[in-house]
Amino acid sequence: MEKEQLKQQLKEQIIKFLNLTNVKPEDIKDDEPLFGEGLGLDSIDSIELIVLLSREYGINIQDPKEGRKILVNIDTMVDYIEQHRTK
Amino acid sequence: MYIHYHNCIFPQQTALPGGLDTLLPADGNQLKAIEPSYDGVPPGLLRRMGKAVRMGTGTALPLLKDLRPDGIIIGTANGGMEDCIRFLNQIIDYDEGMLTPGNFVQSTPNAIAGQLGLMTRNQCYNITHVHRGLSFEQALLDAAMLSMEHPHRNYLVGAVDEIADYNYNIDLLGGWYKKHPQQNKDLYEANSPGSIAGEGAVMLVVNGQPEEAVARLRAIRSWHGTNPDDARTNIEAFLQQYTDGNIPLLITGENGDNRLLPYYETCEKLLPGSAVGRFKHMSGEYPTAAGIALWLTCRLFEGEALPHHFYKKGKENTAGPVLIYNTYKGEQHSLILLSKK
Repeated sequence: MEKEQLKQQLKEQIIKFLNLTNVKPEDIKDDEPLFGEGLGLDSIDSIELIVLLSREYGINIQDPKEGRKILVNIDTMVDYIEQHRTK
Repeated sequence: MYIHYHNCIFPQQTALPGGLDTLLPADGNQLKAIEPSYDGVPPGLLRRMGKAVRMGTGTALPLLKDLRPDGIIIGTANGGMEDCIRFLNQIIDYDEGMLTPGNFVQSTPNAIAGQLGLMTRNQCYNITHVHRGLSFEQALLDAAMLSMEHPHRNYLVGAVDEIADYNYNIDLLGGWYKKHPQQNKDLYEANSPGSIAGEGAVMLVVNGQPEEAVARLRAIRSWHGTNPDDARTNIEAFLQQYTDGNIPLLITGENGDNRLLPYYETCEKLLPGSAVGRFKHMSGEYPTAAGIALWLTCRLFEGEALPHHFYKKGKENTAGPVLIYNTYKGEQHSLILLSKK
């Protein structure tokens, strides 16, 4: 899958998993922070995103420190998915 | 106990004066609540809430703008059942693997009272009564006892239940909802078993002080049993104990289920001079629907004329005592007596 396609797919999955009813994929910028400013997600959302990576891409993040580096923005998530996906 | 403020979200228009005059129709034998925009609820919280929690918090928060209650007391039979089933399905779908917390957090019955406590930073008494069709009545009773003990304290009392696919399908299979298409405007003419499903949230602020109160809860009684003779005995004893026989308006929970009609007719026959009102063509049937009858009574006491389709017999617009009789599935029964002062 092309990187741009993967980004689009990931954005749609984030909207669905987190029930971001007023957000469209084009509203989420690739380098915009997911937490705090930007999309404004919180700690419960981070668990939802970890579950998303597990279910959709077969990636299991065990170390919370590792998660902090991955769940920064769409670019960092897509880079990690490309390298570690098992499905 | 005295009721001072009230609010409601249910399948009819409540925001505009006279909004109840136009009866909004059921869709697929379900009357779904008309939800507002929930302006006071932060979007980050709103997107995680199931419908029961949304309705409950959305109904309560406007009452709590300038008031900090000394207790949050909610009656709900099922709480966030839709999220509960979603969570259970996840356990199966993902083979008891990694699960998301959102549905679980929102799925317990006490999520409504808990969320209200968290949102308003209220650490006082916080409890949820889950007595199926008598959940709201038990919450009222709890608040009434607390109000007797602490008349100056304010309590938020609520009745909340949602239509969830799971409980709708179970009750449909159990014969509690009509199997043929049924319009709510003709609900009482159906002469068949079952009713139509409904949902809603009613919130009240109560205390033990009569000044500027909207209504007074004079008495409440509940019982279990399917025998109509037991209903007659309980109603007669209640009327004898708490009234002088003068009840200008009786509101019944008649719901179009011809199996339950004998209970309501028994009550009507014991009060031949009373006007009779019905509300389940507006709300649908659900375990805490009696809250709607109480909310309608508050509006009546405030001087608002109830719609013509509410009245089965006669018409009552004075401030006389109002008796509410409701039964859930013919097994759980309640009587609530209200007066203006």
